[in-house]
Amino acid sequence: MPVDAKHLAARRELAQGISAVERPGPAANQRIQDALAASAADARNALVVGLTGAPGAGKSSLAAALADVARAGGRRVAILAIDPSSHESGGALLGDRVRIDEHPDDDGRFTRSIATRGSGRSLAHVAAAATILVEAAGFDLIFVETVGAGQAEIGIARLADVLLVVEGPEGGDEVQAMKAGILEVADIVAVNKSDRPGAQAAFDRLRTGLALGAGAPELVLVSATVGAGISELLATIDEVGAGRGVRGRIRRVEAHLVAAAESHVDAQVREATASGALTTRAEQIVAGEQPLTGSITALFGISESPDA
Amino acid sequence: MAERTSPIRVLIAKPGLDGHDRGAKVLARGLRDEGFEVIYTGLRRTVDAIVAAAIEEDVDVVGCSILSGAHATLLPKLVSSLRASGASDVLVVAGGIIPEADRPELEQAGISGIFGPGTTIAEVATFLRANARRR
Repeated sequence: MPVDAKHLAARRELAQGISAVERPGPAANQRIQDALAASAADARNALVVGLTGAPGAGKSSLAAALADVARAGGRRVAILAIDPSSHESGGALLGDRVRIDEHPDDDGRFTRSIATRGSGRSLAHVAAAATILVEAAGFDLIFVETVGAGQAEIGIARLADVLLVVEGPEGGDEVQAMKAGILEVADIVAVNKSDRPGAQAAFDRLRTGLALGAGAPELVLVSATVGAGISELLATIDEVGAGRGVRGRIRRVEAHLVAAAESHVDAQVREATASGALTTRAEQIVAGEQPLTGSITALFGISESPDA
Repeated sequence: MAERTSPIRVLIAKPGLDGHDRGAKVLARGLRDEGFEVIYTGLRRTVDAIVAAAIEEDVDVVGCSILSGAHATLLPKLVSSLRASGASDVLVVAGGIIPEADRPELEQAGISGIFGPGTTIAEVATFLRANARRR
């Protein structure tokens, strides 16, 4: 059966909207504001689930498995898959669709691959804005999957209503589990690949490590490939995300504002690096010709706190 | 030439039934190193799946790798489906084993570039930069 061109029109509009907000400026801001207004008018409160974890832990497969279960339950589901851009070339290889089955004639699904571009962080600057647009397009459940720095990745925690950290059978020794970082802000930790040896042991190690802290996240054992524990995980996600109301959308706008500020600073840093101003200033500081205080303002246009 | 403000987005697809994706992967990696954003979709995708992916990813280029000999049916179908979906400004190029004699017909059908064995990544990159839509 050929794809219905009319069906694809809505997806095309959303897809082009995401491309448009990837180029920051007044036009992008207008789009984001229109989307927020549309969601508010329709009283939409999409549930945004962040997935993060080490490369190879199975984030894409798990997002796809969760999406299948949710879609079978009648929910409209989107996946935003974020992968890093090369610092050298600015290009990116976005391969998450390999693990996500295509459903060309199902308008209740949407998948988009996003490169981090200049962000130098594991979350793309556009992630929050894209999520706002996807919500306005009528998707109830949005998975944002981001490259696993594994630790110290809090951008996704700021954006998501529910943060799911994915671990493989090899991951998560007790000391790692006690370390500050992503596990501290995780709502749920899923040990994936329960069909493989070592998964139960990883689960036990994590349980021991996490139990020592206050406010320990939910811990679940799943297998995306054989489909074990997926419905239960989705139920846990819904429980954690329940009662968010408009708070979720406020959170997305906060994340967008922080991303916009970071984007601005990143651009200033790139410019100061490329122009040589950064090196020149550093040389002057080393030679005692310029004070350290005031240098950040001079280079990047950021005001320094008077106490600094 | 207007300066692009964002990288060219390319969907690399393997339509049809052949299971050899080494060439497609080499190209995907090579184009990444040339500064393109490459979306790789994996093996054995239907034309409808490729069209939907191209729409959702809002790509500038769809590159198909075909080694099975099915190019004469799959590629024109892909181009017409893209056009029917409103994505008529998306460049469609093909690589793989495509006999010289089949080229005129494919070009007629809207396949903008056909790259046989021995084509360098740099040649493909140059062609895409010159022919992909501007935005």
